[in-house]
Amino acid sequence: MASQIFAYAIIGLGSGALIAGVGLGVVLSYRGSGVINLSTGAIAMLAGYCYWALATGEFGVTFPTGWAITLTLLFSAVVGVGFELGVVRPLRRQPALAKLVATLGILLSAQAAVVLAFGDTAHPQPAILPGGNVTLFTVTIPNYDIWMAAIVLGVGLLIAATYRWTRFGIGTRAAAENEAYATLFGLSPNRYSMGNTVAMALVMGLVGMLAASISEVDPTTLVLLIVPGLAAAMFGRLTGFTTTYVAGLVIGMAEGVLVYLSTQSWFPTSNGGPLPGVDNLLVLLVLVVATFFRAGKIPSRGDIVERRLPKAPRPVAPLRTAAVFVPIAAVAMWALPFGFREGLITSCIFAVSLLSLVVVTGYLGQLSLVQLGLAGVAGFMVSHLFTNFGIGFPWAPIVGVLAAAALGVGFGFPALRVRGVQLAVVTLAATVTLETFWFSNGSWGAGVTGAQVPAPSLFGFDFGTNASLHGLGGGEPSPLFGWFCLIVLAVMALLVANLRRSRLGQQMLAVRANERAAAASGVNVRNVKLTGFGIAAGIAGVCGVLLSYSYGSITAASFSTLVAVALVAFVYITGITSVPGGIFGGLIYTGGIFAYALLDWFGLQGNWLNLIVGFLVVLSLISRPEGGATFLFYGKRPSLRPRASMQHGEVAGGAEPGRHGDHGLAPLEIEVRS
Amino acid sequence: MSAALRASGISVSFGAVRALQGVDLEVGAGKLVGLIGPNGAGKTTFVDAITGFVQASGSVRLQGHDISKLPPHRRARLGLARTWQTIELFDDLSVQENLAVAGGRPSLGSTLAEIVFGREPRAERMAEEVVGLLDLEDIAAEMPANLSQGRRKLVGIARALAARPSLLLLDEPAAGLDTHESQDLGRRLRRLADDGLPTLLIDHDMGLVLGICDEIYVLDFGKVIAYGTPEEVRGNPDVLAAYLGKSGTDVQPAAPGTGSTWAAVAEGTGER
Amino acid sequence: MSDPVLSLEKVSAGYGQADVVREIDLVVRPGEIVTLLGPNGAGKTTTLRVVSGLVRPSRGTVRYKGRDMSHLSPTQRARAGIAHVPEGRGIFFGLTVAEHLRLGYRGETIDPAAVYTYFPALRQLRDRPAGLLSGGEQQMLAVARNLARRPALLLLDELSLGLAPLLVEGLLPVVRDYSRERNCGVLLVEQHVPLALDVADHCYVLSHGDVVLHEPAARLRENPELLVESYLGQSSTSEAPATS
Repeated sequence: MASQIFAYAIIGLGSGALIAGVGLGVVLSYRGSGVINLSTGAIAMLAGYCYWALATGEFGVTFPTGWAITLTLLFSAVVGVGFELGVVRPLRRQPALAKLVATLGILLSAQAAVVLAFGDTAHPQPAILPGGNVTLFTVTIPNYDIWMAAIVLGVGLLIAATYRWTRFGIGTRAAAENEAYATLFGLSPNRYSMGNTVAMALVMGLVGMLAASISEVDPTTLVLLIVPGLAAAMFGRLTGFTTTYVAGLVIGMAEGVLVYLSTQSWFPTSNGGPLPGVDNLLVLLVLVVATFFRAGKIPSRGDIVERRLPKAPRPVAPLRTAAVFVPIAAVAMWALPFGFREGLITSCIFAVSLLSLVVVTGYLGQLSLVQLGLAGVAGFMVSHLFTNFGIGFPWAPIVGVLAAAALGVGFGFPALRVRGVQLAVVTLAATVTLETFWFSNGSWGAGVTGAQVPAPSLFGFDFGTNASLHGLGGGEPSPLFGWFCLIVLAVMALLVANLRRSRLGQQMLAVRANERAAAASGVNVRNVKLTGFGIAAGIAGVCGVLLSYSYGSITAASFSTLVAVALVAFVYITGITSVPGGIFGGLIYTGGIFAYALLDWFGLQGNWLNLIVGFLVVLSLISRPEGGATFLFYGKRPSLRPRASMQHGEVAGGAEPGRHGDHGLAPLEIEVRS
Repeated sequence: MSAALRASGISVSFGAVRALQGVDLEVGAGKLVGLIGPNGAGKTTFVDAITGFVQASGSVRLQGHDISKLPPHRRARLGLARTWQTIELFDDLSVQENLAVAGGRPSLGSTLAEIVFGREPRAERMAEEVVGLLDLEDIAAEMPANLSQGRRKLVGIARALAARPSLLLLDEPAAGLDTHESQDLGRRLRRLADDGLPTLLIDHDMGLVLGICDEIYVLDFGKVIAYGTPEEVRGNPDVLAAYLGKSGTDVQPAAPGTGSTWAAVAEGTGER
Repeated sequence: MSDPVLSLEKVSAGYGQADVVREIDLVVRPGEIVTLLGPNGAGKTTTLRVVSGLVRPSRGTVRYKGRDMSHLSPTQRARAGIAHVPEGRGIFFGLTVAEHLRLGYRGETIDPAAVYTYFPALRQLRDRPAGLLSGGEQQMLAVARNLARRPALLLLDELSLGLAPLLVEGLLPVVRDYSRERNCGVLLVEQHVPLALDVADHCYVLSHGDVVLHEPAARLRENPELLVESYLGQSSTSEAPATS
């Protein structure tokens, strides 16, 4: 048995090499420009499709393998240059969180582009690596698994050596430690940033080709390889190439071993099959461990940061605004044709989830990608309370929302320890885990068929989607359900607006702006953060409840990781810091009324919307970080560019001397918070 | 009556660097006490140690209560208020809201009332008084980013005052101010102390510190090298040496009368 | 008298909306050391940052070798021959001493031998990361690395910060010699007044962002009370007559 485990671990080398490769890309991006790049997997996917298209003659010409590889690497380099000039450089003075969100936008656009160009089915790809197998302890191991580990090892060693010994590597390290000092030596940080971004893109190109050559290209697998890749990179403190490589391999080998273990009789099963999602749970655990025990020592970069998070304006008269818009929307719910009505309802529901992001990111300054997962938790609770205990409205939703809030507070605890950017990483992994381990699970979640949800009714009065009242154009969903969603959204919007005006909200913004000064003013930073996470999670839970009622059944797909990413992108372009931002985000969200109008009038698919919104995220981060709707509602305030703060002398008395990048020369807010 | 602040044996190390070595310092009731020293002497580290932002050994007593083991926000709630060299206002909140955050902690009931029923947060009486005291009425609704450096400094002090402190720690409130603003600030600080607020003032503007403080501590290389009234500190050759250097050059303040030069100059400034 | 290597003409600069220095006029000629004195917060560091380009002046002109530099980035200014040792040393804690000497922009070569002739002690430390050097050694490395660039203008900010004055005393004569040999202008910010006056040719005193005194250093060495007066001159006291 031990020998079998060993053999399966060797099989895991292949996927381990891919994870390590993505991890190396993350480290290259971070060292070169301080970007925690969530789009490395997506860039690998682009390269994978490029190679497939060139090698199979998708574009009319079939290239021999060597040519296809060369051209794909060239394509990757071009993508790298574009990424540097279009994303990294314009955002170099922005906080780390903004950079991370921009890479989410690129992820979204890349994925949408591939689906639009090649459809969302998988395509087999011609092999690059030699075929054949070796047999080890009665287990057949494909040769390419070993080849891949060797190739990525070679790449990793090459990079590590470059960093150690070449002038370029030394310069990169210097510029990463303190950008301002580097310029004083006549070095050009832009040049190092460009070099590293292109190197990242080339490595991702290689990973993309290799990955696809052992199976097939599809629009999600490689994109989501970012999660284990990040886990490996975090283990390497986002800087160590060797540690990242080893961690990546080990994760892959552990997954291989899990495959073996899941064939054993004692392995927990679910609906006859082995328990799904255990590998993702493992990655989440690795990431949590890495975050807690390794991330504290990630050298903070001495980047010059000029701009902070966008402002969170104080709502002037939320009730009056609601009194204008709610009746209009209520009439629309009744009068619109059913397709538009359904779109408007979907918009209302997703607007609620975006309000939860407004609280946690806009007010509290923490980027959480797990909000949609928390919505799923509430939604599945509603389904299970009904199927197992016969509990319906309103008790099931209440329990569901409370459960989501409690779990949200639980996710808040890491936020007490880690910086905003790392929280985004952990919550991303948590979303993947919730999706695969819980929601897709046949016993606890929906399995593949979906879990049933009863229509909501109170005292025998049904106001679900198929209630008896029909709108002007007839058909489902019933405007009754639309009004229900509208009222819930209005209430949530007022709560979030009032929160900004309340003293609790002021404390949140104080914590967001400056944790130390908040503590010195008597604010209990920990409690404020946990409360914020709880409130946001509760709001997300409300969204999950509405979502489950709107479909009548619930599936894991509604709460998938890529949907969570898309939601963040949408609310960033409309305004992450304000209630109008959240609501407008819901209106234009894929599946919402705007997207339906595009489809109905122009035949444009939702992926076009995603493609555009992904790029718009980058654009809005560069030019108007407060978002379009916030801008419309609150206008331009003078001096949205916060001043750079002065820092006079007294180095020995600095915040935490000895921390890299924080010694002296802090004229322009050397980044400490994010 | 116990002193407003009694810090004894405060030591702080950053790795191998010993930033503070057994500093004893006391701020008596209603006293305005100065803390001066060259750049890098450890003044800000001392404030960080007192307020709980760096790990320190030694004991800190506020009005007789030992607060050495408390986290920063608990110390703040017990009446320890501070400002920062770099001001550190809450940039996303208006001046008024900045003061409100420091002014008090909302109860669960009032928070619910504010969020669920949209009740306007009650204006803190103290915050209003402070706005009046520091002449900030015209900018109460402004965002910090739109204010001049001098006004921002004042808002920082106002925020500290809004917490109804029993001890005020000011870290370089005059740095970056022009001469007029600096003088104006000095008068306000003196008036606050005269009204009974114990204050520890750190500043590099020697004229300001020597002019308004009751007592002065001088810090160099993490140790207190002198203590006394402004007159005593002025006449202390160690102090001059710490400031202007004590290397064996021909500008040596060792020359007799240098101390009196200080005194004469400082006296003179009072009349200028 | 030779043409100035650096001249500031009515320069105002600061952060955000607040000017920290106001309408400063200042001249540094080749081969001379000019020291900038004044209490903390007076604007000395800001003045150096304006010269090296880390801070953009809000008004006024900065000329280097007679040319207006306003369109040049910090990187371009560094390549044009301006070396700035900032407060906090300006070296990289993660890089070894030897790696600091390999660091350079394209086409630039640093002669390690030259560095080690300025400070022979560094030779033994070549493989040690700068973060593990003592404060004095770090400062030595910072000065040596910048002298090795053969700058025409050297900006030194608070070499003595957090160090015993004795350590800095060893550094300044090396700077003095280099300046004379290579005709390099030096603008020195230093809080240890005697150290600075000892090596300087000219002295400016800043207070609250204004130049309040400009004298040859020799004159101040002979009349230290002039300096003390200007240091304390702009003071405020509670008894000061209200000007408002």
